[in-house]
Amino acid sequence: MARLELHQIRKSFGNIDVLKGIDLTVEDGEFTAFVGPSGCGKSTLLRLICGLDEITSGQMMIDGQVVNDVPPAKRGLAMVFQSYALYPHMSVADNMGYALKLGGTPREEIRRRVEAAAKVLRISDYVDRKPRQLSGGQRQRVAIGRAIVREPKIFLFDEPLSNLDAALRVEMRIEIARMKERLGTTMIYVTHDQIEAMTLADKIVVLNAGRVEQIGSPLDLYNAPANRFVAGFIGSPRMNFLSVQEQRLEGGRARVHGGLVSLNTLPPEAPSEIGVRPEHLELCAPGSSNALNGTIVMTEHLGSDTYAYVGLEGTDEMIVVRLDGERSIRQGEHVGVSVNPDAVHVFSADGRTLVSAKPMARNAA
Amino acid sequence: MFDLSSTVSKVVFGLLLGLIGLFLFFPLYWLAISSVKSNAELYSIVPTPFPLAPTLTHFVTALTTGKLPMYLFNSLVASGASAALNTLLALYAGYSFAKYRFAGRQPVMLFMLSAQMFPFGLLLISIYPLMSEIGLLDTRTGLILSYIVFALPVSTYMLYSYFSQVPDELIEAARADGASDLRIFHTIVIPISIPPIVTVFLYSFMWSWNDLLYSMTLIVSDEKRTIGPGLLLTYLNEVNSDWGGAMAASLLASAPIVAAFLFLQRYFIQGVTAGAVK
Repeated sequence: MARLELHQIRKSFGNIDVLKGIDLTVEDGEFTAFVGPSGCGKSTLLRLICGLDEITSGQMMIDGQVVNDVPPAKRGLAMVFQSYALYPHMSVADNMGYALKLGGTPREEIRRRVEAAAKVLRISDYVDRKPRQLSGGQRQRVAIGRAIVREPKIFLFDEPLSNLDAALRVEMRIEIARMKERLGTTMIYVTHDQIEAMTLADKIVVLNAGRVEQIGSPLDLYNAPANRFVAGFIGSPRMNFLSVQEQRLEGGRARVHGGLVSLNTLPPEAPSEIGVRPEHLELCAPGSSNALNGTIVMTEHLGSDTYAYVGLEGTDEMIVVRLDGERSIRQGEHVGVSVNPDAVHVFSADGRTLVSAKPMARNAA
Repeated sequence: MFDLSSTVSKVVFGLLLGLIGLFLFFPLYWLAISSVKSNAELYSIVPTPFPLAPTLTHFVTALTTGKLPMYLFNSLVASGASAALNTLLALYAGYSFAKYRFAGRQPVMLFMLSAQMFPFGLLLISIYPLMSEIGLLDTRTGLILSYIVFALPVSTYMLYSYFSQVPDELIEAARADGASDLRIFHTIVIPISIPPIVTVFLYSFMWSWNDLLYSMTLIVSDEKRTIGPGLLLTYLNEVNSDWGGAMAASLLASAPIVAAFLFLQRYFIQGVTAGAVK
């Protein structure tokens, strides 16, 4: 159990600044996810926390102690690597017990802790096997088990599920969620999969180009993204962005391709784009008031949902509308898309959020 | 393009391969059968393709009357020691080149490999006075050191190539587990690198075992002579006519290398690192 504090953490490789001043506090027992596109610095940040790379400048504290120069093993952390990084010549039990053995833990104690971890992760039958004799999912469990036996203050996960197939990924995600409940340890989890972040994390840190874009609970980020980047990154399918055609509003309504969108809250400055999530749009008859006009370009039937791609009038821009799974629409059909004024996000030209939508049930319009 | 699966191409390829095989193995075959032929049969006007009355006389004579066992022993000591030392040095050098970033890493590596550009004989010209100067002429130590000069660059490069492919995450995982750099190398990297290590050891062992020039030049006393010059001076002089003995001795001299390959071949099988990552 531990509290982690980062103050103005910077990391440069030569002339390239990978992290440009990260401030972050991870509370004791909190599950924090770092998300962001490839190259945003999330893995680098995790490696700095683990101690695998040196911090260029800034201060890192665990439980109030500065750990900038403390070697990885002395920080009381355990890391689960993306590639598992199991020692191929050692049995599962030896893999899991390696850190304890190095730390001089008595043999009997190592055996006890390895057995306990193996039981929890349901790999007791495999402890004598070598990693190459295990499936991907089992290897992943061993990698997690190797972290568990060390009883670390903080768990670090570096995209631990990205090498697994879709079904196994969901299974392991639930496994990690249960582990979080059971252990109550502080955990930091790096992923580019926002669904993993949304489902697992208490707190999400959205990183982009070496900076923190926003820190907040999953629903905070979903409902009130601080800027266009976060709005586009969190949520699946992603938010629809419509460029505002005229800076001047027409009676509280913004002109976009295909029509006018009513805004319930007037933005303090000229809007550049408005954003609406696919689940907050509804199809209606073409030409309806407060609706955008367009044509159905394509539909995707997922069973539970149907996504309709609507090409708006006078542009190549498409917006995605999330519909009921049973709904069937013809391609090429002319439709109206009604936008709930409460669900509209408004962004400035430099990407700041001017107006956030109000939290609401889906398809409330 | 011609079709590789057609009968004609199969026949042509079969014949070509057969010819190459014959070219490569006929001398070995002749060596083997000649070593078990009697002297009378060896000197018959028409050579016999198969030994008519196989005999082990030549082997017995070579091993009991000549100095062959002594030469073999000397070679074993020189080759074994140089291969062991060379492998040890190449291990640490290759690993540091592969996994550490330090100033001058590339130039040092290139400089080391550039030693390979010179003919062996050329370097002998500078090694000879050097050995003479430091009093290592006509010593086993001197011979062993000079063998390392040649085997080390390539050995280092071979291990460097292998170590470069050892995933960094594996090393980082061990570091996060609390292992020191040396400990990581000894308990994680070396155990998963047995095949290339064996390859390098055999390569340098063979190098010195097959050497003639250096041993011939640097070793003067008969009791330190290795098998190459030993065979040459025993059987290939103006007065010798013991061809059967020469063949038997040559076979005996090749035996350790063949045995080593057979014994260690399982280490060449890849896949030892499977399961480390991914």
